[in-house]
Amino acid sequence: MNSLLELIPSIVNLGISMIIQVVLQGFLISGLYALIAVGFTLIFSVGRVMNLAYGIYIMLGGYTYYTLFQVLEFSKVISLLGAVMVGILFGIITYYGIVKRLLNNPIAVEISTLILAVVMQAVIILLFSPAPKAIWPIISGTTRVGDILVTWNIFFAMVTSWVVLGALLVFIKKTQLGRAIMAVSMDPKGALLSGVDPERINILVWGLSGALGALAGVFFASYTQLDPTMWVTPLITAVAVVIIGGVGSIIGSLVAAHIVGFMETITTTLIAPELRGVFTLILIILILVVLPKGLFGKAEL
Amino acid sequence: MVKQNYKNGGVLKKSIIWWLLFAVLMSSLPMAFSLGTLRIFIFANFIAIFAMSWDILSGYTGYVSFGQPFFIGIAGYASAILTSHYALPLYVSMPVAVVLTMVAGTLFFLPALRTKGTYFAMVTLAFMEVTYHLVQVVKPGITGGSRGITGLPLLVTGAVANYYLSFFSMLLVAICLLAIGKSGIGTVFDAIRMDEDAVKSSGLNTTKFKLFAFMLSASVAGIGGVLYTHYLGSISPRGMFDINFLFTILIAALIGGERSIIGPIIGAYFLTFLLELLRPYIPGSWRYLFYGMTALVVYNYFPKGLYTMITAAGDRIRSGMKRGEQYDSKAS
Repeated sequence: MNSLLELIPSIVNLGISMIIQVVLQGFLISGLYALIAVGFTLIFSVGRVMNLAYGIYIMLGGYTYYTLFQVLEFSKVISLLGAVMVGILFGIITYYGIVKRLLNNPIAVEISTLILAVVMQAVIILLFSPAPKAIWPIISGTTRVGDILVTWNIFFAMVTSWVVLGALLVFIKKTQLGRAIMAVSMDPKGALLSGVDPERINILVWGLSGALGALAGVFFASYTQLDPTMWVTPLITAVAVVIIGGVGSIIGSLVAAHIVGFMETITTTLIAPELRGVFTLILIILILVVLPKGLFGKAEL
Repeated sequence: MVKQNYKNGGVLKKSIIWWLLFAVLMSSLPMAFSLGTLRIFIFANFIAIFAMSWDILSGYTGYVSFGQPFFIGIAGYASAILTSHYALPLYVSMPVAVVLTMVAGTLFFLPALRTKGTYFAMVTLAFMEVTYHLVQVVKPGITGGSRGITGLPLLVTGAVANYYLSFFSMLLVAICLLAIGKSGIGTVFDAIRMDEDAVKSSGLNTTKFKLFAFMLSASVAGIGGVLYTHYLGSISPRGMFDINFLFTILIAALIGGERSIIGPIIGAYFLTFLLELLRPYIPGSWRYLFYGMTALVVYNYFPKGLYTMITAAGDRIRSGMKRGEQYDSKAS
């Protein structure tokens, strides 16, 4: 009896430290997921198509950074910029090469981008071999919060994510060009009538999406590792965020990224690490069956 | 002209002759080719079955499924577990597995009641991925975890026997699906793709027809899945519930030409052989790159697929010949 009573404080302690761990890890990983998803959301909002090659921007970002920084030994900033440039380039290539011709047929775009993703996977295997590669943390070192070890790397990823998302929000709400993007996402015909060139907006959005994907890819790769099939997991995360958050809302996808991130953290800490992807997928299925417009979506689809 | 022929059964007779010729030609292949080449044919036959199961659902009704490997994997795993863990004979496990796959087909059917297009495709993709994770985690003692199950009983042994089994299964599936596709049911499927509301308002119960399409697709994928599993003798999560497997099935159907049943067969053979023909000239992973590029180019520039291209070319030649005949008769 006595020993049982003595156990209670330690159980409470364990509970509190677990809650702290879940909250901390949840926010850190959700920041990364928001960054991963926002480029995908952008294209879905403007073009109403799911770009299944989006995972490739993430992978290309990671591999470009790896090549520039770890093989060619450029500085971190140059490597990061190089990765983003490759992302922009590849985003625009996807738009011109495939998407532009098929824009009125979303399913055809999805199938084509899926084929493109598999092709790029083959390219990466040819260039870098199928073996996984470790990428050095962008900011090395760790810190302790209570009993929990946090790497500066993932913290930096979260901060970057918030900064980028904030900048994007300001860009879209406050600048002429950003409002034009919003106009196209709300009503392409109306935007055209009021003098917005949809072609220009599309190039801008696809380039931006590529840049965001590649940037997220560098962080994602330094959080996990580089390998030629790494594009699938972030792609599914991005799909989940778009579906949960609904169309055309950056705030919605931010909230959705936190739902996904926290759900995965809770699953990993409390249930089993192997199940971490499962609940996200089940949530995708449930939301699509019950609420096809997403939790925050307002546009019809 | 065509209508008259159809009334007289001319087209039907002609197509029966074509199918017989095809069957005889394919049956004589084991005499002409090495066992290695035969194994490639076996693989092509299975891909053809899977691609046809995709076609009858997605090609016809327009509900594009990104989760066909889900059906195939469910069937394969069900039969594998029943034979390895419960020691049931194949003639029990295989039909049970196919029935289970059809039950799983209703899982796909539920979202199809509410969603369409992109969202439906994503639900099916999510179903496939979720099964990939669950198979490894839930009861790994039975499913074999991430390594899967090996040493399954084989249905028949030897490349020749397996070739005949896979080819005649493929032929049977093709003829059944083609008959359904050409019947009134196929027409309703077509109409659902074009305008579901119009079909509804003309008094047909689209839900019933959709359910039938899903069951049909699931059962064909299930039949293919159990045969494939007991041909390989092993099953693993990455071999089944994988985006690359989906990719192979999808592009076989699309490159051959959707909504034709014959198209997916052509696509499956074309792509399998493309990969094999390239073997001596292009090393290892380069072949997959070339394969993907071919798929991308054909899908983007010839979206109707090879089958339509072939029939269009055939029509042109025939009409050219007819014009020639007329010209000859006038001259004489």
